[in-house]
Amino acid sequence: MIVTYNWLKEFVDFDLSPQELSDLLTMLGLEVEGVRHVGGGLDEVVVAIVEERAQHPNADKLSLCRVNNGRETLAIVCGAQNFKAGDKVALAQLGAVLPGDFKIKRSKIRGEESCGMLCSEKELGLAAESDGILILPPDLPLGVPVFEALALKDTIFEIGLTPNRADCLSIVGVAREIAAKLGMNVQYTGHSVEESNFPISERAEVIVEDAELCPRYTARYIAGCSVGPSPAWLVRRLEAVGMRSINNVVDVTNYVLMEYGHPLHAFDADLLAGGKIIVRRAAEAERFSTLDGQERVLTAADLTIRDGEKGVALAGIMGGENSEIRQDTANILLESAYFNPSAIRRTSKRLGLHTESSHRFERGADVDILLTALDRAASLIAELAGGEIARGAIDVYPRSLPSRTVRFRVKRCNELLGIQLAADEMAAIFNRLEFTVNSVEPGLLDVTVPSFRVDVEREIDLVEEVARLNGYNTIPVTMPKARVFSDRPTRHQRLEKRLRNVMVGQGFSEIINFSFMAPGVLDKLLLADDDPRRSVVRLRNPLVEEQSVMRTALLPGLLETASRNLNYRMLTLRMFELRRVYLPVEGQELPREPLHLAGILTGARYREGWNQERYQVDFYDVKGVVEHILDEFAVTSVSYVQDCLHPYFHPGKSCSVRSGDELLGSFGELHPDVQDNFEIDQPVYYLELDFEKLAMLSSDNVTIKPPSRFPDTFRDIAMLISDEAPASAILDCIGGLKIREVECAEIFDLYKGTHIPEGFKSVAVRIRYRSQEKTLTDDEVSPLHQRIVDTLVKKLEVTIR
Amino acid sequence: MKEQLDGLLQAALKEIDGAGNEEALQELRIKYLGKKGELTAVMKGLGSLSATERPVVGQMANAVKDQLESRLEEKLTQVRDANKREKLQRERLDVTLPGRRLPYGSKHPITLVIEEISEIFAGLGFQVAEGPEVELDFYNFEALNFPKDHPARDMQDTFFVDDSILLRTHTSPVQVRTMLKHAPPVRIISPGTVYRCDSDATHSPMFHQIEGFMVDTGVTFGDLKGVLTTFLTQYFGKGIGVRLRPSFFPFTEPSAEVDIACVMCRGKGCRVCKQSGWLEILGAGMIDPEVYRHVGYDPETISGFAFGMGIERVAMLKYGIGDLRLFFDNDVRFLQQF
Repeated sequence: MIVTYNWLKEFVDFDLSPQELSDLLTMLGLEVEGVRHVGGGLDEVVVAIVEERAQHPNADKLSLCRVNNGRETLAIVCGAQNFKAGDKVALAQLGAVLPGDFKIKRSKIRGEESCGMLCSEKELGLAAESDGILILPPDLPLGVPVFEALALKDTIFEIGLTPNRADCLSIVGVAREIAAKLGMNVQYTGHSVEESNFPISERAEVIVEDAELCPRYTARYIAGCSVGPSPAWLVRRLEAVGMRSINNVVDVTNYVLMEYGHPLHAFDADLLAGGKIIVRRAAEAERFSTLDGQERVLTAADLTIRDGEKGVALAGIMGGENSEIRQDTANILLESAYFNPSAIRRTSKRLGLHTESSHRFERGADVDILLTALDRAASLIAELAGGEIARGAIDVYPRSLPSRTVRFRVKRCNELLGIQLAADEMAAIFNRLEFTVNSVEPGLLDVTVPSFRVDVEREIDLVEEVARLNGYNTIPVTMPKARVFSDRPTRHQRLEKRLRNVMVGQGFSEIINFSFMAPGVLDKLLLADDDPRRSVVRLRNPLVEEQSVMRTALLPGLLETASRNLNYRMLTLRMFELRRVYLPVEGQELPREPLHLAGILTGARYREGWNQERYQVDFYDVKGVVEHILDEFAVTSVSYVQDCLHPYFHPGKSCSVRSGDELLGSFGELHPDVQDNFEIDQPVYYLELDFEKLAMLSSDNVTIKPPSRFPDTFRDIAMLISDEAPASAILDCIGGLKIREVECAEIFDLYKGTHIPEGFKSVAVRIRYRSQEKTLTDDEVSPLHQRIVDTLVKKLEVTIR
Repeated sequence: MKEQLDGLLQAALKEIDGAGNEEALQELRIKYLGKKGELTAVMKGLGSLSATERPVVGQMANAVKDQLESRLEEKLTQVRDANKREKLQRERLDVTLPGRRLPYGSKHPITLVIEEISEIFAGLGFQVAEGPEVELDFYNFEALNFPKDHPARDMQDTFFVDDSILLRTHTSPVQVRTMLKHAPPVRIISPGTVYRCDSDATHSPMFHQIEGFMVDTGVTFGDLKGVLTTFLTQYFGKGIGVRLRPSFFPFTEPSAEVDIACVMCRGKGCRVCKQSGWLEILGAGMIDPEVYRHVGYDPETISGFAFGMGIERVAMLKYGIGDLRLFFDNDVRFLQQF
């Protein structure tokens, strides 16, 4: 909503600077989002008087003038014809810069000196076209800047209006707020209509067939108008509030729309068959051309204004082409009506047709302002376009909309706001808002709300008015006197935070990608047609196709992110995302939204440096990350299975991770085709874990084994074992013996090649022995170690080297 | 003999003082105190002295021995210390060369802000709750007093899945879900991801909010001011200017926008605050009785407030981030600065 300082001032005589007014509006809840000053910058164009006008000696069409600006008399050459000596004019003095960067300089025109220029409205940017120079009213003082003398300087405020404040969609509405805050009165100007003798009943008839969607319809008839351009002041006012001038009749309806906030419509009365207005719903599938030239298909839910034969307007939204005001329109039927907000909104939404008119009706217009707005517009039309106003106005209002009276408890209001205001102070606030207050009993008020405040229906709405007008800043700052209770974050929340910390601790940067994905991106992952991740939640109105479904996997986003970063030559990446995926569930309205962890690593193992070796990450780096997570979460019975579960992995360098029978996730090197699909040309290692499962399998109670205080002793075993056998078999075998004195067993060397027979590998294991009770002697360790060696030989058929 | 001992002592002390290294000192020890050393030779000569002279000279010889031994020890320590100092000097590194660092990770700024804000509210007794992002119209709109066909719905451009399912446009549905499950008192903070059908330089189709609300007996608008002022002071620092001004949200009444004094210009007016000196940071208000009706609370016996804020906006102010798109570009050069 746009309002101007001068226009508001016509209704409230406030004494505030533009900045003060802006602050006052903002603190009332009418947030000023922009302030613009107009009519400034032309201080060198002043009021002057033409003392003498003579013919230019060397040019027929030019005059040689002597013009006084209040301080001196100047010689000016002027080409206009529409003035005489004694006229007051707008003199652009030397140094003035007119719109279009036109600088006024001393010049000689056909041999005669000219010390300035007499300006037209067009040259001052006041009108699009003008005939001759601007002749000013004779009472303006000399030497004063013209814009100041004409009160053209104005400040324009852009208000970001909340949808509840339909009443402030007008100058009058905003003025009412200012008046209420300042304790002043709005000076409503009465509009006496000069009526002619012929009664309106001779010319027009209004039949409302659907009083539910159109509770009230009023109209006036103006005969013999001449449609033409609007005067400059009207054009300027409309432009100031962001509207384009069309012609004097339409401009008046728009002017009154802005002033009173009530949408009006002017019909060419001669184009209404039978001089009739019928308010009725459209026929199903009826076609109708609105005055923007579009043909619309209506439904039986849409309210139309019709004449004896056809539709002439889409009620409350837009008029029809067939009855609009034209250059040759003479007789006008002016409509001022009230339509049902929901119905207007439904039609406007369905047709995608949002207008100044529908915007107001759907928020709730003021049913009591209809005649005021109608009369104001009718008199203005008669004033600007001539014509005679028929006697009487039509007012079809079969059932008055009830006025609202709301019961209000002073104590409740104080309790909710945390203030101590007396009943009469609250009543005074309501009165300033033009509400009527009746005291029922002490502390209990009946407040009757004027029709323009459609947002005030309940006690709580009145509480808000008290707070608003009194000022939110007057409410004391307190802390709640709350009952003490506290809950720590849930287990799930704590584990989530912990997992994030574990990843960050391992050098991963957290990323957040959009929850959307492109439907085709799953193909890039080589997913099978029946992969469950292909079942997605699809958006009905995506912004772009690439964001049209909710993601079922984090991998595509990670790869796109990796690809982008690699393009920036960031060749070492460790990134993770711990976010939701959206998995539709058969038979349920809403999808499941489990948290998944996904991470990738690629490039160098260590940060680059002058003293760092350049190792590249490999499978065992990503495995290390997974092992570390599982350790942190104390997940037991972990196994790594090379089961080629997902097609996006390198089949030989990937596996799934399980705890008992539960599948926790997978990790490994990505398939080269997948890397190609995302335009990545270096190996990428990826891990994905189901956070919900991880949380489920995490042990909360970790029992600590006290560390032994006795020295250790270790023995190594080097053995040949079949290349096929997994290394884990050796460690499982040793662990399976459950020898108490074995503190740990580690593989410390692995070798294939020269000196090792084909089909075998050499594995070296170091076993560390330590007792909780004493220092172990060789004699005690040897039999234990021998048992291990024998078991390995027997069970795994290894050859000890 | 006395003279001989004296001469020996003086010569030995001189030699010890002149010795420059450990080896020389060892040699001197052998030369004077060794089995065939000079002092040992003198001691051996004691036998040839008279019984009266022997103890006197013996005592003297012992004193000389003690003196030499202690001087040797002293000198040895000196020499060793000097050696160590010299060795440490030689091992001097160029400390300006960069250190060897492990790969370092970082949390996303959105996460950091959520964690920090949640911590502050945890201190005020607020517990974290979450809700689905693919949400029913009922929780996102209907129960929050956005009736169908109401212009208030235009405030939030919505992604729809179908007529009744949508992507939540705010974290407020968590209010409804929580109150349906728990009787008052409740004190909840709810960070989360939200969606609006809008994308340009200042709007992202996905962004984050933190919702907070409290319902109990006797909660006032003054309490709302108190809790928010406490939070804003703890987050942005003491002395930050806070103002509330009237606004409108369908699910609160009275409603407020909460501004803080511009953190860039300290309220003087700059580009960031559009010359106003204030930055909009929160929406808030007393929970509307209509919402209580939907969750089965009695608005006559309880009252409460709710507030919500955009996390990206807070992060932008906190870290001086000028471009919203940086949050979701995930450029590691951006992320590693946190």
